[in-house]
Amino acid sequence: MLGKSKKTDSGKLVSPDRPLEGKSSTFLSRSTARDEKTIIGEHISIEGSIRGEENLEIEGSMKGNIELEKHNFRIGPNGQVEGEINARNVSISGEFKGNIKSHEKVEITREADFYGEIKAKSISIEDGAYIKGVIELDREPNRKSTDAQKPNATAAPETGKAPGAPR
Amino acid sequence: MATSITQDPRDPNVALSPTSHTSEVLELFLNSLVRLKDGQVLDMGPVCEENILFFASRLRRHYVCDMFLRLIREQKIARHSRNVWRHLDYPDRFFDGIHLWDLCDHLDDKKVSQVIEHCLLMLQPGGLLMLVAFEKPPSPVRINSFIIQHHYRMSYRVQPHLNIAWHCRHNRALMSLLTGFSIVKSLRYRNGIREILLKKPL
Repeated sequence: MLGKSKKTDSGKLVSPDRPLEGKSSTFLSRSTARDEKTIIGEHISIEGSIRGEENLEIEGSMKGNIELEKHNFRIGPNGQVEGEINARNVSISGEFKGNIKSHEKVEITREADFYGEIKAKSISIEDGAYIKGVIELDREPNRKSTDAQKPNATAAPETGKAPGAPR
Repeated sequence: MATSITQDPRDPNVALSPTSHTSEVLELFLNSLVRLKDGQVLDMGPVCEENILFFASRLRRHYVCDMFLRLIREQKIARHSRNVWRHLDYPDRFFDGIHLWDLCDHLDDKKVSQVIEHCLLMLQPGGLLMLVAFEKPPSPVRINSFIIQHHYRMSYRVQPHLNIAWHCRHNRALMSLLTGFSIVKSLRYRNGIREILLKKPL
């Protein structure tokens, strides 16, 4: 996609009219509208860091850190990323190794292979995703851990035999 | 006893067996862990959003290592000679609790002994190991995720991407493989599911 215009999700044609920060920024096509995104195509490999002020999607491979504090980041189904991500919302459909810090939500889809750590306000995970990692959700201070799951006092136990007795 | 029927999402007219149940052992497992400051749990079950949210919202850090998908991938690449447990590369005495779900139902005796040995290493002294076991494979024979719902209710969801052999065992056979642990609680529910909570000796 080097030097070529690229169609964004909204169908508009965009061109790489301004390089982004990062070693391989000339390989990126860039959208012009604030809510559009830059896509790194699947035949592109990048080593280095990216810092930006717009949404970013990676379909290629990348080794390095991504800093998009107020914007969204997505790894497409063919994307492979290794590094640290700091973004508002993060969606992983490809392969990721590293740590994610999201200020809002992390989404892991069924195609994803995830190895690393997630710190986020919320998370959604589809069945079929592979995860080896650690998940740390922002917790409300002073929340009582078991309140929400307190069993109903009137609910009868469903055990077929007395508690504690091995069968 | 409140019971509910779990329906096959691909055919709502087909009721799955077993039905859901309320897990007393899960309640005991969780309550023991939340008493600890920064209790750390490893979840080895199929990746399941509800379960991850359940633990991650109650414990500071929730570790996930999906050994079900790992077993399938090892089968596909025919690396039978390689040790699938190499993926459990956590430090010794790292976790306060480990949830195996029904992983043992999909392992032969040798592999059950291996994973139990790994759990013993990874758990702190006094750490808890929870597992679930079927008396017989569910009907239809499909692998399900156990889904934690409100009030420790456990239901099931079919995982069509998981296709692993079944090794259901009678209680005595299963217990004989869980060496090195002491039994905290063992329950058999009416739906035929057994839940076992074990403790690593201090």
